[in-house]
Amino acid sequence: MDTNDQYGGHHRTPTRARGGGARLVVAAGAAALALGAGLATPLGPASQQAHAADGDGKVLTVAVAQSVDSLSPFLAVRLLSTSIHRLTYEYLTNYDAEDNSVVPGFATEWKSSPDKLTWTYTIRSDSTWSDGEQATAEDAAWTFNTMMTDPGAATANGSFVSNFETVTAPSPTRLVIKLKKPQATMTALDVPIVPRHVWEKVDDFTKFNNDKDFPVVGNGPFVLTDYKPDSYVRLKANKDFWRGAPKFDELVFRYYKDQDAAVSALRKGEVSFVAGSPSLTPAQAASLKGEKNIRVNDAPGRRFYALATNPGARAKNGETMGDGHPSLLDQRVRNALFKAVDRKAIIDKVFQGHAVEGAGYVPPRFAQYFWKPSPGQELTYDPEEAGRMLDQAGLRKNADGRRVGKDGKPITYRVLCHATDPNDKAIGQYLQEWWDELGIGVTLNCLDNVTDPWLAGEYDLAFDGWSVNPDPDFVLSIHTCAALPATPEETGATDNFICDRTYDELYARQLAEYDPDKRAAIVRQMESRLYDLGYMNVMAYPNAVEAYRTDQIESITTMPAKAGNIYGQDGYWSWWSAVPADSGDASGGSSSTGVVVGIVAGVVVLAGVGAFLAVRRRATADERE
Amino acid sequence: MTAENGTAKGQAAPTVRARSLAWRRRRDSAARFWRQYRGHRAGVFGLAALLLFAVPALAAPLLVGSDVADVTDAPGGPLEDPSARFPFGTDRFGRNLLGLVIWGARVSLLVGLLAAVLSVAIGTLIGVTAGHFKGWYATVVMRITDWFLVMPTLVLAIALATVMPRSLLTIVVAIGVTTWPTTARLVRAQTLAVETRPYIERARALGGGHRHIMARHVLPNVMPLVLAQTTLIISSAILAEATLAFLGLGDPTVVSWGALLQDAREAGAVSSGHWWYLVPPGVAIAVVALAFTLCGRAVEQVLNPRLGVSR
Repeated sequence: MDTNDQYGGHHRTPTRARGGGARLVVAAGAAALALGAGLATPLGPASQQAHAADGDGKVLTVAVAQSVDSLSPFLAVRLLSTSIHRLTYEYLTNYDAEDNSVVPGFATEWKSSPDKLTWTYTIRSDSTWSDGEQATAEDAAWTFNTMMTDPGAATANGSFVSNFETVTAPSPTRLVIKLKKPQATMTALDVPIVPRHVWEKVDDFTKFNNDKDFPVVGNGPFVLTDYKPDSYVRLKANKDFWRGAPKFDELVFRYYKDQDAAVSALRKGEVSFVAGSPSLTPAQAASLKGEKNIRVNDAPGRRFYALATNPGARAKNGETMGDGHPSLLDQRVRNALFKAVDRKAIIDKVFQGHAVEGAGYVPPRFAQYFWKPSPGQELTYDPEEAGRMLDQAGLRKNADGRRVGKDGKPITYRVLCHATDPNDKAIGQYLQEWWDELGIGVTLNCLDNVTDPWLAGEYDLAFDGWSVNPDPDFVLSIHTCAALPATPEETGATDNFICDRTYDELYARQLAEYDPDKRAAIVRQMESRLYDLGYMNVMAYPNAVEAYRTDQIESITTMPAKAGNIYGQDGYWSWWSAVPADSGDASGGSSSTGVVVGIVAGVVVLAGVGAFLAVRRRATADERE
Repeated sequence: MTAENGTAKGQAAPTVRARSLAWRRRRDSAARFWRQYRGHRAGVFGLAALLLFAVPALAAPLLVGSDVADVTDAPGGPLEDPSARFPFGTDRFGRNLLGLVIWGARVSLLVGLLAAVLSVAIGTLIGVTAGHFKGWYATVVMRITDWFLVMPTLVLAIALATVMPRSLLTIVVAIGVTTWPTTARLVRAQTLAVETRPYIERARALGGGHRHIMARHVLPNVMPLVLAQTTLIISSAILAEATLAFLGLGDPTVVSWGALLQDAREAGAVSSGHWWYLVPPGVAIAVVALAFTLCGRAVEQVLNPRLGVSR
């Protein structure tokens, strides 16, 4: 559903922003703004302070479009916050930057018992907390146990431990987790392990935000040293990191509310990196591509962008809710509507090539799980066939050429869209014209906060989008019946109120399947089922478009290595691996004529408005007389 | 017979003459108004600028056609530079920006006019009744007016536009119900002044009721003020419409100048240097708002000589 996760907001919090868990959120570096590292350039005040404090350190500044929700790993769900946790704490396992496969993190090895219910992890002995204490299996056990016993600590990542029976640490290097049921995601537990000796002093996990005592004790490649809300987060390199110290001495995430401002800062060298979360617009990317010393990274995203159809929202107790249009309960109608959506036009016109045409639920970058409909199954763009399908479904045209529903009234669908997402609005306009040809009206209902009507089921169709993790379990789980809210008043983890028995059976099978290939095959079957149902029509996989200064960052790791994103990775690879460029003195004078023209234009407009306001002011002064 | 004829003629003639006299008086005063208005150079400039925008806006269906706003049949590529084919370039959908600016004028002007009329209508109603009835009614109504007066208009309008469904009507209402207090205060002051005149007393003595006095005697006397106020408010209404649309509170499928600016911002036109996406709608808003202000002030001066020449 949302853009929420695009901007890092995410899910399952009581306020119910949607988005998958934090991991989800770490979405396709959607929001990466710019990370600008101004090496020797005067950065903003923040970096200048840094220079003053640390002398000559190499600073990497990243412009982000998102503020921090919480620095506590138990609460944080936004992309920026979870990325910071990736950098400051170790997780049991990590994902290989090369191909997303699972690699050792805090744990060096792991194995499951023959009954699939007991997992034993070997914890590394060369990781120390930044205050000098040894990091052990005891810290991991304490972290999991806290999440299992204290609901406050389960806020962000509770779903990972809901199936845990017990977690123990028989020795400092051995962690044993006993499960209630087999769970295939045991090597993808995206939970930051915190130091017990620091965190056991916390009374109330729902209130502790981990932002008072700096530096914050951690064992990742960076140590959190400073934070100012809605302004910046500063991290220092951890020289003792077991995998090797990062090349930059300092990493600063600076908050830019406006992406245009972040792009300008990148041009001037005030920041080294502008993240693709939200992605740079095609116009911005095109203009940056021509710039000297700037590289645009246009990577296949990990998000899917879909048109969700209200399946007749209901709760687990069987009560229906909301007011979805009854005609959408007919699969032929849903498929017909999608057949009248020209995905190619969306890619070409709206994304201008910075996206891949939609197919299955999981984006192609996760090759193992990617699924594509066969030619016979595919809902190709064919408005005439769509019209025939609607005729068959009994939605016939009246004298005015409008299709009428069973109640005899012309059909107008309400499409819920995010007012903050330009793509929603743009595609909405296309939908309006495409479906108008079919004889169906569209009302675009663009809201800043789509959560309320969404949770209440008060929509017919909606723009939806989630970031997919290397392990797709979460994004699959949100379409199971178990995710429905218990009663209409409650909030469930469900995305779109989908509840399908076939899908649920497949979901249970894949979760219990420990063989990766067999599991992937089941996941692909689930995608096929989802495709046919027509409740989640994936239109596109938007790219993560981000940019950085090559005169400040010499090299940086993308994930996956081939055509991958940089900001919002499932790991710390990008910032850990970034190599500072030698010529630290990025000049600020490389602004292109485009910028100059833009600024002049802005000034002209401002002057016009200013002059007008002046006149107007005088006029009102007169009135007051 | 002759006598009767004479009488009949005698009765008919004055009626005809009275009517034609009234018409002549109106014509004369219109001509006088225009003569004086012409003397205000700024006012004439404003009027010319208005015509420059209003005529193409009215003729837009003939000039550009309603399919100028269609995204599926957009003639150009996204964000093309200005060229002979597209004098203002194209927008992010590849639509002709010149056509969109002309088409957008319809919405901007319409919303500006309707919102101003609504605002002035509310203000006049409140002002006249408050000035006429005085007493507790006036106290209560004027306190409400004060309350609206101190509320930041834009914030209130944003709040209204957020809770109501997104449509043009919402924007009109949001602007209309937030900008009336100034008018109410002005009209009330004028009403109080008019009501002290002897002929009102005379009308009352002859049995004129509240409605008669307000509608027949007070209203015509505050009308000049109302007219000038309307013209002035239109410009702020147009600006408010552009602001709300720019903030994304308008109907995203409606083309207006503010919505074009919002589109431009969302497309990243500012940092990528696509100035032609921003400048035409921006300049149009500024010029039209300025034009209405100039006209309004000229009208105000002509109708109310006491404002003097110093202004």
